[in-house]
Amino acid sequence: MTVIDNRSVLSGIKVREAMRRQVVRLDRNAPVAQAIRYFIKYKVNALLVVEEDFRAAGVASKTDVMGAYYAGLPLETPLEAILFGPPLFCEEDDTLESALGTMRERGIYRLYVRGEEPDATAGVLAYPDIVGMLYRYCRRCAKNIFRHRKPYDEGDGNCYLKVREIMTPSVKAHGVDETLAQVMEGLSEYRVGAVLVRDRQGRPAGVISKSDLMIAYKHGVPSDTPAGEVMGTPVFSCHREELLARAIQSMIYRDVHRLFVHSGDPGDVAGVFSLSDAARARSGSCRACIPSRIQVE
Amino acid sequence: MGTVARDVMDTKFHLLSPETSIAEAVRLFKEAGEREGRRLFGMMVVDGEGSLAGTLSMYDILLVVRPKHIHIWGEMDDLDVTGLVDASCERVRSLLVGDIMTTDVTTITADTHLFMIVDIMLKKHIRRLPVVEDGKILGIVYISDVFYHLLDRFVA
Repeated sequence: MTVIDNRSVLSGIKVREAMRRQVVRLDRNAPVAQAIRYFIKYKVNALLVVEEDFRAAGVASKTDVMGAYYAGLPLETPLEAILFGPPLFCEEDDTLESALGTMRERGIYRLYVRGEEPDATAGVLAYPDIVGMLYRYCRRCAKNIFRHRKPYDEGDGNCYLKVREIMTPSVKAHGVDETLAQVMEGLSEYRVGAVLVRDRQGRPAGVISKSDLMIAYKHGVPSDTPAGEVMGTPVFSCHREELLARAIQSMIYRDVHRLFVHSGDPGDVAGVFSLSDAARARSGSCRACIPSRIQVE
Repeated sequence: MGTVARDVMDTKFHLLSPETSIAEAVRLFKEAGEREGRRLFGMMVVDGEGSLAGTLSMYDILLVVRPKHIHIWGEMDDLDVTGLVDASCERVRSLLVGDIMTTDVTTITADTHLFMIVDIMLKKHIRRLPVVEDGKILGIVYISDVFYHLLDRFVA
């Protein structure tokens, strides 16, 4: 009997259990402006771009739209000019681990799920969907911190993952006076969805995400506009010792994809923690699941 | 009793601009509804030339107001949700009608038969159809008006 200490709570879970069945599609001739409307309305990070007969042609993500903004393309530009394709597919019966492995190897954030009919798309699997599923599992577990009747006891703390263990211990930031074009260059270089914006004293002043940039593009804001005029406020942050489960709850509640992490002073941000980080860690919010997995040889 | 769109369409329609803020659009919904004595759940949007650019319905607005991860935190019965609705509405504040309006709009002409209108509304799950001819908006047909117009035939 071997104790497997590298198996995660995802072991044995199939794609069908975490996938989202709503696939937001747009015709390849639809304008970029229409794609932006869909991103805003349906709160997705990518659209499946389809041919006239609904076969998948490619994927248009917020990153691609940001690229169009940076390049100065008009909002009427058809999606086929910016799409990335063809999309990568997995099967409903694939394991989540293999799907996550593919996403990591290919450096992508989502996989589309093949349907039963030829050329059909049954759904999409993205990091937030996996985190959401894990969160629901975790909520029902007897060891869940929210089931404790007593206030959280520091003595039990070793069991629970904390933000500092999962977070990215560095922060990409731009100054309020830097232009949106510079911010877009940074987002592209760092491969992140949002950056911190610091005021002239270096303190956190706001956040610019790809969503903010898309809306600026749609509203005709020139790309040489200072970041401070477009950034979103406030900066949502948490303490590095915060329990992972509470941090995830906070993100879900606030409808944000990331929290900036501090060590006590919110003005001194030293890291960032995203829902994608939580999914990449391939765990729920607790270590209890890992040593409990035993494989019989 | 007429049997085409012109017989049931409402010619006192209300228009929005793509540059109108969502908050202003909601205010206009309420004002127009009070004037007409019925609740309005959608309005037509016209561009600078007066051509139909799209429609804005309550669904378009509710889609944006709905938190992204509601399917997850809907289970959080111990969650303190104070201020959640205000926070959600605040996120909509920076958006304009043109950012979320539906641009793929099905339209009919004044001569479209009522049963064709019923067929479109049922198949596409839509409650109102703009009546457009030669790019000009003539009116709007509401599903409730079609229903009561047809119902009158039963009670006549």
